[in-house]
Amino acid sequence: MHVVIINGSPRVQKYSNTEKIIASFAKGLSEKGASFEIYAVSNRKSWDVIRDAYIKNEEILIALPLYVECIPGLLLEFLETLPKKNDHTRISFLLQSGFAEGCQLRCGEEFLKKLPGYLGVRYGGCLVKGDNFGIRLLDEKKQEQATKPYQAMGELFAEGDGFFREEARKFTGPEYLPLPMRFIMQFVFRTFAKKMFQKAAASWGCCTPLDEKVW
Amino acid sequence: MVLMIDTTGEHIGTQFAEELLHSGKNPAEFELLDITGMHISPCVGCNYCWLKTPGRCAIKDDYEPVLKKMSKAGQVWLISDTRFGFVSYQTKNIVDRVMPLVTMYLKIKDGQMRHVMRYDHQPDFGIIYTGDGDQAYLERWCGRMALNFGSSSLGVFPVENRKEAVSCML
Repeated sequence: MHVVIINGSPRVQKYSNTEKIIASFAKGLSEKGASFEIYAVSNRKSWDVIRDAYIKNEEILIALPLYVECIPGLLLEFLETLPKKNDHTRISFLLQSGFAEGCQLRCGEEFLKKLPGYLGVRYGGCLVKGDNFGIRLLDEKKQEQATKPYQAMGELFAEGDGFFREEARKFTGPEYLPLPMRFIMQFVFRTFAKKMFQKAAASWGCCTPLDEKVW
Repeated sequence: MVLMIDTTGEHIGTQFAEELLHSGKNPAEFELLDITGMHISPCVGCNYCWLKTPGRCAIKDDYEPVLKKMSKAGQVWLISDTRFGFVSYQTKNIVDRVMPLVTMYLKIKDGQMRHVMRYDHQPDFGIIYTGDGDQAYLERWCGRMALNFGSSSLGVFPVENRKEAVSCML
């Protein structure tokens, strides 16, 4: 299997959480003998090259962050430039988000389910998982740990069934957080998480309150 | 205040502005923003509006005045062409760039994680679309978008249902 992986995140590759997830996923592909090529739509100059790879290959994986309940505007713009193909080509999706629960990604997933039909190609399923916001704030070693579970999904994908297998469905985790967990999270959000975000902001050179009203 | 943001190629927003005037709406109570000629880049997810310059977008283009109007409006209507059954990328870019209205802080609301909003007032959202839009999907998306703001969806209308949409703006 040879997979064209398109990073659909508008963020520059260096800081892209999706890029780090792809790296782990691709490791899984390699483990199972599959090959791949990786592109990123954040670099507009590469759009012609990506489109060419899309046209010439039949196994496409678009990995993307959820942006306001659907796909990022920049990726939408890129998709408009793709020509129609036929059902020899399959597109699968890897959708990730900051919010942790599966229910937060379902609206985006529904769009992705229908998208291949508009492009004339087959749908290979969608791997859905949240709780990825913090990846960019971690050091390299912890980033590797955080994205490690995606390696097993790469291995699974290399077996050829897209993301339709039970393991891929389970990868999402809980659809809603259990009630006791919600109480704990609410407490954490009001206390430790606030401090953690303020600390992260300070390391970016920010010295104003994060909830400041600018108008 | 009713704010209409028109990204359509045929500038159909003017039809709605005229219809509002015919219906007796005070011109001071609505505004039509046609983004033709404005430069509005896509959000690049830099997170500066949350963690570096809270409330301010790092991209310096024509967007900030649009965002300010959105934040103060009672109703925001996205008037959009459609592609893949969804809004155009021009409209999605306008929506993706709202992040300065949201803070980095989180909360649990109605059983789901949400961001804490930066301002006390949030606009409701509605969609008017041209072309072959996926009505059911656009309704779901508009509802979810409003949920993130803690506001409500005003509904989704194909351009042909002009009078129905306008009745929601009065």
